[in-house]
Amino acid sequence: MKFLVCLKQVPDSTVRVKVGGDRRSIAAEGITWSISPYDEYAIELALERKDADASTVVSVVTVGPARSRDALRQALAMGCDDATLVTSEADLSALDVAKALAAVVNEAKPDVVLCGKQASDDDQGLVGPALAEALGWPHVGMLTKLVPGASGLELWREVEGGHEVWSAAPPVVALVHKSEKEPRYPSLPGIMKAKRKEIPEKDLASCGVTPGAPRPEVALMDLPPQRGQGKVWKLDGDAKGVAEQVAKALREEAKVV
Amino acid sequence: MDPELPEEIRILQKTVRQFVENELAPHEREIEERNEIPRAVIDAMAGAGLFGIGHDERWGGQGFGKLGYCVAIEQAGRANASLWNVIGASAGLCGTAIEIGGPDEVRERYLPRIFAGEMLGAYALSEPGAGSDAGSLKTAARKQGGEYVIEGFKTFITNAPIADVFVVFANVAPDRGSKGITAFVVERGTEGLTVGPNDEKMGLHGSTTAQLFFSGMRVPAANRVGEEGQGFRIALGTLDVGRLGLAAHSVGIAQRLLEASARYAKTRVQFGKPIAVNQGIQWMLADGATEIHAARLMVYDAAARADKGERITQRAAMTKLFATEMLGRVADAAVQIHGGMGYMRELWIERAYRDARITRIYEGTSEVQRMVIAGGLLEDA
Ligand SMILES: Cc1cc2nc3c(=O)[nH]c(=O)nc-3n(C[C@H](O)[C@H](O)[C@H](O)COP(=O)(O)OP(=O)(O)OC[C@H]3O[C@@H](n4cnc5c(N)ncnc54)[C@H](O)[C@@H]3O)c2cc1C
Repeated sequence: MKFLVCLKQVPDSTVRVKVGGDRRSIAAEGITWSISPYDEYAIELALERKDADASTVVSVVTVGPARSRDALRQALAMGCDDATLVTSEADLSALDVAKALAAVVNEAKPDVVLCGKQASDDDQGLVGPALAEALGWPHVGMLTKLVPGASGLELWREVEGGHEVWSAAPPVVALVHKSEKEPRYPSLPGIMKAKRKEIPEKDLASCGVTPGAPRPEVALMDLPPQRGQGKVWKLDGDAKGVAEQVAKALREEAKVV
Repeated sequence: MDPELPEEIRILQKTVRQFVENELAPHEREIEERNEIPRAVIDAMAGAGLFGIGHDERWGGQGFGKLGYCVAIEQAGRANASLWNVIGASAGLCGTAIEIGGPDEVRERYLPRIFAGEMLGAYALSEPGAGSDAGSLKTAARKQGGEYVIEGFKTFITNAPIADVFVVFANVAPDRGSKGITAFVVERGTEGLTVGPNDEKMGLHGSTTAQLFFSGMRVPAANRVGEEGQGFRIALGTLDVGRLGLAAHSVGIAQRLLEASARYAKTRVQFGKPIAVNQGIQWMLADGATEIHAARLMVYDAAARADKGERITQRAAMTKLFATEMLGRVADAAVQIHGGMGYMRELWIERAYRDARITRIYEGTSEVQRMVIAGGLLEDA
């Protein structure tokens, strides 16, 4: 089976994001970039299929600026077989990204396309469904597990209070919510192997995409207001007495109950 | 030198950092309090490939070169110093000595297992009477047929209580001084080898150190590393690599101490405001950050040159000297910024302070590094 995982490079979750001077984007300097966490789960799910069946091929692709090459290299180091970079320095609309990915999918002809359910930078969650639409493939969201079944693929999804199992015959696009295991670290030999791999580069034109799909613009970016100082109450008495005073304070002073 | 690290080394850096923070750091307190590294932790480090990072793929290493080695060791500084000490003595010293000295037959026999972490090594140079002046060592080796008979003793040997193999330096021709020094691989269990009890130390808890006693110990000539009389050259070449590693480790430890100090300074309130608003505290942080930056560049520069095949004896000495003394200053400032909490066992700061002290002593004291630096300088003058 052939997997194609679409990933996005985003600011690492440990980065303290600062708003840029234009107040419409984040300040880029000094940022460490990583694969978006849901995309890492997608890679893990695909690689688990490869662990189970060595004939499985796992490819990765990203549409993004040249620095995104690092994220692809990371995916190769984790154990993916090959990677494609579609370069675009400009920030694209979700629809344009989906169109470019569709061109790569049509060329690579995978059985399963996995995307993270959303990227952790803008949390829009648009690219996956748009890609399924562009390809005319079925689409399954909130994936947590994927196993070959009698009629194609068993797709486990998380729903409120439990899970469902869907089945689909490939080709299919699935959006990953989580993997059972934490995404693996690259192995050191894996990093060396990844170093020796070529990462072919394409541009939007060669994917047949002229960017310009309609899109909303960010008008303002702001950090949440600074939290005020906490307050320490000095309370005496037994548990009941203290609880009463706390309840009173929460109602009358903090006005939260 | 390209100040930007190559892509694969950046991935290595991140991978090792994640491993250290997720798999090693959680054992920090347990290792310190029990003065023991659980075998499972050593096995996890082996499984992650940490023993082979800087070594040649031909001998089972991971092939990241000395730059990758240093970048990885720097990240290892984010958990107990004793953890890297086990790897440093095994792969970094014992492994490097065999890698430098050869012959291939000996390399093949030991290196893949040492670099996989399946076999633990130790490096036995120092003696009670030969520390800084290692060339004056008294352990003697006498050739007898296809064997050498070794008599003498070694002191302060890291990993001795747990090592499977030792590289032992002995003199085959005492009349030729350090030119008679020869290196041998000695396996644990060899008749005539006795390992002393684990020494009690100020820090590096979990890492073990002991004396070795050789009495009529017979070692096959096939276990000689390099030629007779090449031992001292091998020992010094090994120390170039070891010193670089210690410097890299010092940078990583100092970085973590600085980050903790900055965080603490922002949250600790005295006189109604965080102590970080005081210039007196800010200057300690600023000096630490500056010195760490300088030391890191020295490490990366020396490592990149080593990878190009340059001889780095002078640079390794300067780098070890500066980075370890820098760590001493940063660790001292970290305790100071944490105030009384910095002195308490409850935090890891006081442990890091104790652990830091050894870096200015082993693999050549700061004074010995200055001897090496000045020696080279005057030779070229
Ligand atoms: C925890 C630990 C682990 C160790 N692990 C190993 C190991 O695995 N393998 C190994 O072989 N060794 C090991 N050592 C030994 C270590 O390398 C030596 O302790 C070190 O080289 C210093 O030697 P010494 O202790 O004999 O001090 P000395 O050489 O006696 O030095 C005492 C003092 O005199 C100074 N001094 C000496 N000569 C001069 C000079 N010419 N000019 C100015 N000052 C001078 C020194 O700098 C020092 O301040 C270890 C030591 C420790 C403490």
